Amino acid sequence: MTPSAAPSLTVAPVFDLERVLASIDSMAAQRPVAAQIVSEANSDRVSAKELSRMLGADVALASRVMKLANSAFYGMRGRVTSLQFAVTVVGFATVRTMATVALTDLDDESRLPEDFWEVSTSLALAASTLAPRFAERPQDALCLGLLAQMGVALLHHNDPDGYAELWTTQRSFAGRRTAEVHRYGISALRLTAVALEQWGFPAGMLVPLTQVDDGASFAGALLRSAFEVAGRLTDGDHQETAIERVSCGQLRERDVAPILSQVRADAEELRTALLG
Amino acid sequence: MAARTRTVSEPSASPEVVAAVFHGVSVSDAMAILVVEQVDGVLRVSWSNERTGTLLGYGGADLLAVPVEQLLPSLRGGELKLLLRRERTVHMTLPVRCASGALLDCAVSAVPVPPPAGKRWTVRLHATANEAEQALRATADAHERRFATLTERSPVPTLLSEQGMRLAHVNDAFCALVGRQAEQLLGTGWLDAVHAEDLEQVIEQAMAVLEGGDREVRARLVRDDGTERCTVIRFAHVFTPGVGAGFVGTIEDITDRLAFEARLAYQANHDPLTGLPNRTLLAEHVAERFRPGAGGLACIFLDLDNFKVVNDSLGHTAGDALLVEIADRLRSTVRPGDLVARFGGDEFVVVCQHVTEDDAVALAERIGVALHRPLTLSGVELHPRASVGVTVQTAEHRAAEELIRDCDIAMYQAKAGGKGRITVLDSEARAQARDKLRLVADLREAIDRRDITLMYQPIFSTADGSAVAVESLARWHHPERGAISPSTFVPLAEESGLVSALGLLVLDETCRQLAAWDDRLGTAAPQQANVNVSALQLDVNLPGHVQSALLRHGLEPSRLSIEITESALMKDPASARAVLLQLRDLGVQVSIDDFGTGYSSLAYLRHLPVDCLKVDRSFVAELADGHAEITSAVIALARSLGLCTVAEGVETREQAEELARLGATYLQGFSLAAPLTGDDAATWFADRPATTHPSDRHPDLELT
Repeated sequence: MTPSAAPSLTVAPVFDLERVLASIDSMAAQRPVAAQIVSEANSDRVSAKELSRMLGADVALASRVMKLANSAFYGMRGRVTSLQFAVTVVGFATVRTMATVALTDLDDESRLPEDFWEVSTSLALAASTLAPRFAERPQDALCLGLLAQMGVALLHHNDPDGYAELWTTQRSFAGRRTAEVHRYGISALRLTAVALEQWGFPAGMLVPLTQVDDGASFAGALLRSAFEVAGRLTDGDHQETAIERVSCGQLRERDVAPILSQVRADAEELRTALLG
Repeated sequence: MAARTRTVSEPSASPEVVAAVFHGVSVSDAMAILVVEQVDGVLRVSWSNERTGTLLGYGGADLLAVPVEQLLPSLRGGELKLLLRRERTVHMTLPVRCASGALLDCAVSAVPVPPPAGKRWTVRLHATANEAEQALRATADAHERRFATLTERSPVPTLLSEQGMRLAHVNDAFCALVGRQAEQLLGTGWLDAVHAEDLEQVIEQAMAVLEGGDREVRARLVRDDGTERCTVIRFAHVFTPGVGAGFVGTIEDITDRLAFEARLAYQANHDPLTGLPNRTLLAEHVAERFRPGAGGLACIFLDLDNFKVVNDSLGHTAGDALLVEIADRLRSTVRPGDLVARFGGDEFVVVCQHVTEDDAVALAERIGVALHRPLTLSGVELHPRASVGVTVQTAEHRAAEELIRDCDIAMYQAKAGGKGRITVLDSEARAQARDKLRLVADLREAIDRRDITLMYQPIFSTADGSAVAVESLARWHHPERGAISPSTFVPLAEESGLVSALGLLVLDETCRQLAAWDDRLGTAAPQQANVNVSALQLDVNLPGHVQSALLRHGLEPSRLSIEITESALMKDPASARAVLLQLRDLGVQVSIDDFGTGYSSLAYLRHLPVDCLKVDRSFVAELADGHAEITSAVIALARSLGLCTVAEGVETREQAEELARLGATYLQGFSLAAPLTGDDAATWFADRPATTHPSDRHPDLELT
């Protein structure tokens, strides 16, 4: 992370960050089942049977997992009839991601910036599609992409008007991060990392969030590239950055075209599957 | 998660207890603890225990001079607030800078210690990875890299799903197989490469594997260019703890193998010359469509007339060309859905469904017209014709093969009727054919049970009138039909493939009887037995069979004479000569039966290794009419070649005398001695004097 690009908390925030951080803790109390899944799904000891048992206690969340497992995104075409098998199909990390989505009210689009999920699903699918190029697991990258903007939601929940204006006026991701630090003392991505770390997500998932702005960091390259792809897809005024540069040389421009069309095709489907 | 956000409560212990805890913490070597305070807006370490100094490499009070931002470099820019919260304990995994400058990954827990809020925290450090853990992780990473390399470079197309149906990895071999890039195949993209008709099955099997076990499925994969590859996909269950269930899929491309098998199957079922289905496929085709009791299924059997003439006169190439042309004409004449098969040689069968007898006959007539159109082969114009047999399924047909057999019979009837005809099999002909089939079955059983018996007809020497030999004559007494003539059952055996078994029976029984006579009569026993051999037996196996029979019964080879008809020898003279030579080498005598009735070349006869000519009974009969020319010529010929002669069918004393006068060596006839059973022959020979007086040269040649 270069000092010049690093968002700083030293700029006087006009917002009480402590309140936002406190809200991360209080969410768990409101959705205890989702909180338990977020807390335990990462364990090596948990089985599909155990996870589905936990999931069964939250009907809304369970039905979303079933719906996702049967979506075209997973290719199962309506064959998944048991919750345990649904957990197997979508994977534990995805179940945990969906629990996190539920926990943070990310599934309530009325409380989110306008094209939040369009951006998030594009980001997630871009990360998932590009993951093999960076020796990462597509499913982990999908989850990271889905949750990366959770900080956006947290900031938006706590400052609906202010954040909506920031979201509208700052279209670039880097620009938004700078504006977020300026207004809140912390970027949404960093806030996501804090929340995920607090909820026990693996450290490997947090590193890209903290290093995405360090152009020399390979650990941040996948997420950085995914942001670039998502920007090209969702923002008509997107100022393109050379993909070779953001990907630390892992991608060429010719690689991007097929990925754009693939992500564009799947994004809406994934959004529908996730949110119903 | 509740534990991670626990609010710190006020201590309620006594000062002594607090002092004890403080002492324990300060000297603890299990836990690194330090206290951070904000003084004049700057966060510094105000206290640390001994373990902290050891962990981070600081000595004495050095740590107190280090700003906290420097200790925790990843929380630059004021992000220390994320760790040092006013009211809550926070746990983070952070790199902590050691005195050496190196970064040590630690689980860092910060507990606020009010009052006042936001001024002081106790911070606990715990190094997250020790050396053993790091080594373990490195080993695991190395394993994963090795597996990835192996998979990547494997020539076996491979899929890897870490969980569910979405692929995380495909190797180059799979990309090459389907002609697509990896990016197009990851996720559920690979399902697009599965043929639409096979997709359900592939998903079904993959889904089953996700729940455990291994499966395989045959599926077509569609390449990017639209071409298809036939494959077998083998799925194996993979479970990753903390991730879920996935699968490894390996793909075997069996396109070429299937094509080869299909080619073999086609070749096994089709005639290579005409491309028509062969007899095997014909049988399957009819069997598939045959429903006992139903009707409407018809077979038309065609046999080209005079095809052998074409082959013999114009050569096999022209013959083949004719067959190909006939096949083409048949194909273009039959109705769509009718089957045209080459039954063998110049025989073809057409199978049609849903037809009446009239329809089938009309089709046969159309075929006849089509075949008769002229064609030119090797400059010769031909007008092909066929004898055609038609059979339409009736209630009497119980099996598909009966239908084909009946139309074969009908064709033979047509041919017998004068060629170029169409015959519909009537019930009388069918009854005759079935009767013949039953007789064949009975004959087979009679041979198996050795119900075929032998009679022995004595053969006399003209020199002294003695009985010097016998001819074995097979007899069959059918339990219901009575005696069946050899002229009936021998051709039947030849047609039905039973002649070899019949021949072996006669050979063995003759030898057995000779040995039995020897035991009973001693020197009075017949010294030789003549055994007839069919043309179909005249092959390389015959000498071996003869030798076995002789050995089995302890007989000298000279005791046996093999009789072979002239026509049998002329079918394949070269190989016949080779077999006769072997028989002669054994020491067995060889006679030509019915000599003079065939068309053998006399020049050829000179080179045949034979000992004796049998003068046919028809020539002997002519003696009574004063025509001795042929018999005389045959006997003279034999004498000039150094061969002996046996005159068959001697009926009168005059014939016997005339034949002796002409120089015949031996005589055989019903009037001289009728065929006898083995026992009767023993008695007959026992009653005869060993030799006869020379002055009475033919005392035994009296008519009986």
